[in-house]
Amino acid sequence: MITVTDLHKEYIDGESHVRALRGITMQIDKGEFLSIAGPSGSGKTTLLNLIGCIDTADSGEIILDGDTVTRKHARELVEIRRGKIGFVFQDFNLIPVLTAYENVSLTLSLMGLKETEIKARTMAILREVGLEGMEHRRPAKLSGGQQQRVAVARALVKQPLIVLADEPTANLDSATGESILQMMRGMNERWGTTFIFSTHDTMVMDYARRLCRLHDGLIESDEKRSA
Amino acid sequence: MKTRRRAGRTPLKVFLILAVKNMARYRRRTLITASAIACGVAVFAAVASVMDGFSSESDRNFIDYETGSARIVAPGYWEEREQFPLDMVVEDSSEVIAQLEQEGWRAAGRTEFRGELVIYYDPFPEDGNIPMAFAGVDPDRDPEVFRLKESIEEGRFPAAGEDELIIGRWLADRIGAEIGYGVTIMTRTKDGYYQIMDLEIVGIFNTPNPHVNRNVGYLPLDTADYYLEMEDAVTGVIIRGDERVPGSLDPAPIASLMEDRPVRVMSFSDMNKEFAEIMEMSEQITSLILMLLAVIAIVGISNTMLMAVLEREREIGMLRAMGVRNREIQWMFFFEASGIGFIGAGIGVMLGSLLMWLLVTYGIDYGEMLGDIDLGYRFGEVLYGIWSFSALIQAAITAVIVSGVVSLIPVRRMLKKQVTDCLRHS
Ligand SMILES: Nc1ncnc2c1ncn2[C@@H]1O[C@H](COP(=O)(O)OP(=O)(O)OP(=O)(O)O)[C@@H](O)[C@H]1O
Ligand SMILES: [Mg+2]
Repeated sequence: MITVTDLHKEYIDGESHVRALRGITMQIDKGEFLSIAGPSGSGKTTLLNLIGCIDTADSGEIILDGDTVTRKHARELVEIRRGKIGFVFQDFNLIPVLTAYENVSLTLSLMGLKETEIKARTMAILREVGLEGMEHRRPAKLSGGQQQRVAVARALVKQPLIVLADEPTANLDSATGESILQMMRGMNERWGTTFIFSTHDTMVMDYARRLCRLHDGLIESDEKRSA
Repeated sequence: MKTRRRAGRTPLKVFLILAVKNMARYRRRTLITASAIACGVAVFAAVASVMDGFSSESDRNFIDYETGSARIVAPGYWEEREQFPLDMVVEDSSEVIAQLEQEGWRAAGRTEFRGELVIYYDPFPEDGNIPMAFAGVDPDRDPEVFRLKESIEEGRFPAAGEDELIIGRWLADRIGAEIGYGVTIMTRTKDGYYQIMDLEIVGIFNTPNPHVNRNVGYLPLDTADYYLEMEDAVTGVIIRGDERVPGSLDPAPIASLMEDRPVRVMSFSDMNKEFAEIMEMSEQITSLILMLLAVIAIVGISNTMLMAVLEREREIGMLRAMGVRNREIQWMFFFEASGIGFIGAGIGVMLGSLLMWLLVTYGIDYGEMLGDIDLGYRFGEVLYGIWSFSALIQAAITAVIVSGVVSLIPVRRMLKKQVTDCLRHS
């Protein structure tokens, strides 16, 4: 479903050139629960950004659901993101003026769904992430774990092709982080949603069904794991 | 309201709601910026009210006390009128007026001339010699055309055939004149011979037209005719129409009536030309002030929106990652800024209405401010505003649109950034 071929990305910051990705090739199938692991600076975020169509590669190719996104224009990439990709960020990134409910339903409003459908789907996903009764709280009135649950609900409510999560538990204590991962894996198992998340935490890697280790912009190892 | 699903289209309502919520979140900033805009709108409306009041009052004061709606003069007279020539006249004025009256016009002849008002110690406080203008006015017809008679404050209008004079309150106070005092006018006749008239002050008037109050004395037309040896000629026949907008009388029918006579028919705008030029200059100054106000409001709103955009960089990055289009983000900030503009406009309209009400009711008393300076305008010492709803609405709409458009500058700059750069922002 996702084919990454010989992906290169270099950051030029004045005099210094950082080769963040130096030829990544991999295949990701539908329904995978994949962890991209590696030390700081190994290129995890860069890879997720490229797969998520919010950054452009220098060379190489990404084919996403049949679309060669590496050849597409920014305008087309927005549409792909809107329809097919859900993001979960390390620091939640909820909109502070919106309630939990509104943060989630915004995604569906963007797709132009009918009000009744938006309501049904939003309430269902909020129940799923265990936030029933907290729909009308603003992010400031939610704990970190609860905020990340809203973020996961926001990413999943549109039933995306892939969910990209860059260090989703890095800002949470380990117990809360684990519960988030458990929840994500449950969704992956029941709905078959593809998850790609990055981490450098071994506890988090343990949840992965496939672990891909990066080092210095190259794949160091790539292995399937049994639960 | 139902929103039908259209492929690839997002209802803008979503962004409108977001904008309103952000305005509510930054309430203080919203209100401060809106207040700046409100001041701009209110001051604009007040200035427009005074300007309009000023020009319409000035027009009215010209028409009511000096020019009339239209005027018949000898060719070339108007250009020389400051010399008060008595050799460029409208002959047979009785006939001309009769002809006009037959057609339903209200008309009166006036003979305007220059002279010296000579006063002597006792009854006056001291001897004096004041060069000024005089006009012979028809006691019967003049009140039909001008409002001079209505503005008599003390005494009465001069009577036909009598050696009587009325002067303005301002002048009377300066020279210490009272009703019943005798004065002498030294002037020249139509043919250029020296002439002396001994007249009695029978009335003191006070018009809203300061020029008239200060510089002109009036005596009966037939008295002037006799002393100046005019033989029924006058320097002008003035016509008053029923036009609703001051000065809009069409002089064409009068002109065709006067076709066979060697005269010139002047409309109000012909006579008002120089003043209109001054008016235009002061309008330019006003628009400069208004531009300054606009700049202040623009700086206010653009500052606020720049701040809003910068501090929401991550949020913008996140929205873009979610698949919100650049255009939609621009709309969101446009709504927010024009919303602030809308609140500002609302407050501004209320404030502006209050200011207008004060200006219409109490006016600005600038008499003390200016003292004796004659600016050439024709308005009284209290300048009143008029209701100008169009100015209010114009200012309000401008505030809303300009605010919205100004917001696009920082947003567009932000959208040039990479999504990943926005997201990395802390
Ligand atoms: N915008 C940028 N400009 C310059 N260099 C960058 C930029 N983004 C990333 N880099 C560099 O590219 C390399 C890879 O960065 P990346 O963020 O992908 O690593 P990471 O594996 O996500 O690290 P971390 O675990 O710290 O998040 C690093 O050396 C980083 O310093
Ligand atoms: Mg990273």
